[in-house]
Amino acid sequence: MEAPAQTTIPRRDPATVMRLSRLGSLHQCRLSFMRQLTRRMAKENWSFARPVFRIDENGVGCAVYSAKGPERTYSLVAFAHDLPPELRSDRVIAEAWDATFALFDGVPTEADIERLSQNVPLQEAGRVSESELSLSRANRSVRLWAHVVDRLAAGQQPDFEQIDKVGYLMRTTAVYGSGKFGAADRDKIAGRAEVQAPFQVEMLSVFLTRAFVRDLVEHMAHAKGGDAAVPLDPAIARRLGIGNSTGLGMAPFIVNHPILFNNWIMVREEAIARVRSVSEATESEAQVFRKLLRQSEVSVDRWRSEHPIQIEKLAALKADLSVLTAHVAADDLITDYPWNRLMTWAEGALSEEGQELVASLILEPYADLVDGLTSCMADSNGAAFAIDGAMDVTEVRNLIEESFGWALDLDWDAPENCARAWYVSEEKLEPRMGERFDEPIADYEQPLAPARDAALAYQALNGRQGTIAGFLLEHPEHRHTVRRAQMSRVAPYGEIRDNTISAQVLPIDMLRAKLSFFGATHFDPRSDRWVRICMYAGAPYPEDLTTETADHWVYPQEGAV
Amino acid sequence: MSYSLNEVEATAKRATRGAGFAWGLAEDAAKATRWLCAHDLDGVGQLAQLLDQADRSLHVPAALDGVWTGEGALCPLHTGCLLSDSMHRLSSHPIAMEHVATPALLLPFAALAARQLKAPVTLDCDGMTVCTDGHIVSATADWPAMAQTVTVTLGGDLPVSSARKTRATPRSADWDALNRLAHKTYAPATEESRLLGAGAGLSDND
Repeated sequence: MEAPAQTTIPRRDPATVMRLSRLGSLHQCRLSFMRQLTRRMAKENWSFARPVFRIDENGVGCAVYSAKGPERTYSLVAFAHDLPPELRSDRVIAEAWDATFALFDGVPTEADIERLSQNVPLQEAGRVSESELSLSRANRSVRLWAHVVDRLAAGQQPDFEQIDKVGYLMRTTAVYGSGKFGAADRDKIAGRAEVQAPFQVEMLSVFLTRAFVRDLVEHMAHAKGGDAAVPLDPAIARRLGIGNSTGLGMAPFIVNHPILFNNWIMVREEAIARVRSVSEATESEAQVFRKLLRQSEVSVDRWRSEHPIQIEKLAALKADLSVLTAHVAADDLITDYPWNRLMTWAEGALSEEGQELVASLILEPYADLVDGLTSCMADSNGAAFAIDGAMDVTEVRNLIEESFGWALDLDWDAPENCARAWYVSEEKLEPRMGERFDEPIADYEQPLAPARDAALAYQALNGRQGTIAGFLLEHPEHRHTVRRAQMSRVAPYGEIRDNTISAQVLPIDMLRAKLSFFGATHFDPRSDRWVRICMYAGAPYPEDLTTETADHWVYPQEGAV
Repeated sequence: MSYSLNEVEATAKRATRGAGFAWGLAEDAAKATRWLCAHDLDGVGQLAQLLDQADRSLHVPAALDGVWTGEGALCPLHTGCLLSDSMHRLSSHPIAMEHVATPALLLPFAALAARQLKAPVTLDCDGMTVCTDGHIVSATADWPAMAQTVTVTLGGDLPVSSARKTRATPRSADWDALNRLAHKTYAPATEESRLLGAGAGLSDND
């Protein structure tokens, strides 16, 4: 961990933090990957350029957007397509998109662009190379795209209400990085300061995509309206984010990367503990909190969802916000460990959505206590993979009890406790979740039920003596579980403390946990297993990025007064 | 065709699972294959060779103590895992084993042990010695398909550097073989899974 800050208040217990309902209530905070990126780019004074923009009047062609940091340049290579409406789908089963992208490591030559034009539009069916760091695609929001093009073409600005209803002109779907489809491995870039933190390449790709989408909509309006067309009002443009549709494929990620996921959660918990340990806040720190709380109310007001679960959670969050506002109005937020008092009060007074909003908000006044922790969020601990075979079986049992004590007495044969199974479909090679007792999938089950597997291993270890190496020689089927148990020594927040195959499991909770660390807002579940979000809404565009605009953009300016 | 090491690892894991190994062993096999490829050795070819014969029932060492032997040729994945699990023993004495199939696959496990012990480890395979500290590896001749005797010792002489690769270029026959095995882990698509498995729900084209 970073420089030792005094914490008199301990980190919250993993048993509290790692429940799925709470993970499914997390909000962005100053540790979020998008905000890390915009802060860094502003601080380092990155420059941006658009060396190529060859799009015809039908919206077909390519463009290049470059971001130049102190040591390196990264370029988004964008391909715009004319997609017939019947082919437009965000689902992974789609085969064509309105726009496709690759993030190129450096500045692409014409030959690179030509090579990418043969592959990037095909997405999974194409191949990229070690020069590419990510591969992604986006579809238009049909409703908003047409509205904005029509209005701008006619010399008018789009309707604010329409903008707020959707929030973005295009939605990305998958953003593939880390060696997928031939792209460069994470190893290639892991040592670079500017992309050392998790998902910085992907976040940069989306940041540049947003600029491309704004330029494209203005280009299309001009193609339609000619000289009558006007550019998009910068205030409206700033309000627009990039949507994202995230499917089930992302859910297994947090189970498959226990060290990485631990680092995200543990860093946030450490940040919360540091701020709770502040014995006395200054007037200006309290003011930062109060102002951002007001702005959060505006953001929550703009958060729309048609999903019954999220509608209910949003109602609770709105109720929380009014209770919270009244509570902080009557508190100085300065004396006697103000943030610890607030957190303790929230635990008894607010829903999990509200509690986690408070936890994220109290970090805001404390850049000096919090931001240095961002360097601890990547997984650089490859050694944790190795199993310590000399460990006594009793100690492994103890480790399992620590993370999965709650799971050991569960009846894992009861249908409701193992109703689901995670598998990979032959068709798209994507993770899916099915009904174990209704579909022929059990034989193909992926190891995504750590709690059940822990209970099985715990049982098998019962009565054994000696080293775990001897046990694993006889029982290789428990090897993955023993590895995870040993990892928990360095990753106390690495395990979800809930049943990931129960009849009640909501994969959207897993998706939200991950997306909140990206810095996403306005989670809008479209079923129990896919979700829409908004990224970079309110953020400056590349040309407006300064140290003043780089950080608090996620909080709507309209609430600042 | 060149593949990212991430693609190699993911494919090796699925293939090993598809060949019937436990998930935990598949994880180790995947890391081992990646390590070989990253060190300019044909990890994909070695794994394909092993998995091709895995159904001819390779064996697991019968006991931890003494020379490791089985009823027949030893499986290098089970044996390799046991080797890295037993790395603490290397400090007091070498580990010897007999009749190991595809012994090249033991090397990444010796490398894992070396990295953990922060000391070089030498693998003697019927007289061919290879030394690694987990990062650097000494040059090797062609690996045999079967080793009569393998001895693993703490210590050894390392070159100052050795080749590293960021991409793998396996023979297409080997890559295809792994993908055929990986395919066995995929559930056949049904209309139900197509609709429900990835989560239908509200419209996605608005």
